[in-house]
Amino acid sequence: MKILDRYLDHLPWVAAMLLIAGVVHIVSVLLMPAVAPKDAYARALAAVGGAQPARLVALAPMAPGAEILPFEDPAFAEGLCVYDLSKGLLRVSAPADGEDYLAISFHALAGRLYHAITDRAAIKGKIDIVIGDGRQIEALQAATEEAPPQEVRLTAPTKRGFVLVRSFAKRPSDQARARERLNTVSCERFDPPKE
Amino acid sequence: MTRPFAKYLRAAAVMIAGLAIGLAATALSLSSGYGFNPLRAGPWTAWPSVGGADIDPYARAVIARTGEAPLGIDQGLAFVAQEDSSGAQLDGACDYQIVDPTPAARLWTIALATPHGGLIASPAGRYGFSSVDALRREGGAFEIAVARRARAGNWLSPGDARRFVLVLRLYDTPLDVGANADPASFPKIVKLKCD
Repeated sequence: MKILDRYLDHLPWVAAMLLIAGVVHIVSVLLMPAVAPKDAYARALAAVGGAQPARLVALAPMAPGAEILPFEDPAFAEGLCVYDLSKGLLRVSAPADGEDYLAISFHALAGRLYHAITDRAAIKGKIDIVIGDGRQIEALQAATEEAPPQEVRLTAPTKRGFVLVRSFAKRPSDQARARERLNTVSCERFDPPKE
Repeated sequence: MTRPFAKYLRAAAVMIAGLAIGLAATALSLSSGYGFNPLRAGPWTAWPSVGGADIDPYARAVIARTGEAPLGIDQGLAFVAQEDSSGAQLDGACDYQIVDPTPAARLWTIALATPHGGLIASPAGRYGFSSVDALRREGGAFEIAVARRARAGNWLSPGDARRFVLVLRLYDTPLDVGANADPASFPKIVKLKCD
């Protein structure tokens, strides 16, 4: 019985320790996206050299030791458009010939991917996406009753973020053409409509 | 006199131990893959939820730390293999052969990468093959050799790297990520010999 008493004596301490461990674990996991110093947004911002106003910056071909983002497919040419919605809405448009694979993904801060499409999702041969924060999109909806049919409007979860465009190169010698294709993708800031 | 003092000491020890256990649990859980619900097929593993809106906090913490910009779930799936088909870790000193088949997709690529997602400098001058540029035998079957020494046909070299991973990316794939993947429809990684 004495041994049991001793264990029971320790029990609250062990419980407290596990509770602290659990809280520390959960908080550190949830906090990680906010404090991670080299997340995808930080890397993207460094890669475009703080290019403002927002425009699409084609990245140099991937090379060992000079990767901008880890785990990217070397068969692709890539472009980045880093945006800040506090300066206005952003329109991303690209012609889609439906021939070669083209992927556009929208990333918010803290590792959040909130929209991703490929050229297959193009409407009438065109990709046309407008992103803004909640208020900007509302103002846009109010100003234009009928949106152009191919226009997709998205509410971004955070004001800052980046758009990543991946253009497939069929073979290594095709990289130049894939990079040229990136130039057909436009990424431009525009002001919200006046009430 | 010593009793209350011992109690404070004990409380401090419990707090420090709780902190340590919590942080260790975080480090451990973030170093083993990308959160929950991996999709496994033979040696290949993908985390489909990483590219979606329903990404779990663990996966978000991991990609914020590594700085990845994942593929969107609608764009494609990236499978990583750290082992060959027999379950042995991939070793730069060994020769491997990657053989048919691949799951249905608009296109696929197979590439080498470092365990942290970087490219590997290689004498072969290329980092991967795609469904378009891989040489095929009559009938459409293909095989890709992974070896340090030059091979005829599709050849990838891990260079001087001892540790590497293989990444299979399926773009615009109709693969059902909710269901179990059929390992027989994925490429096999066969170890031939080691130096």
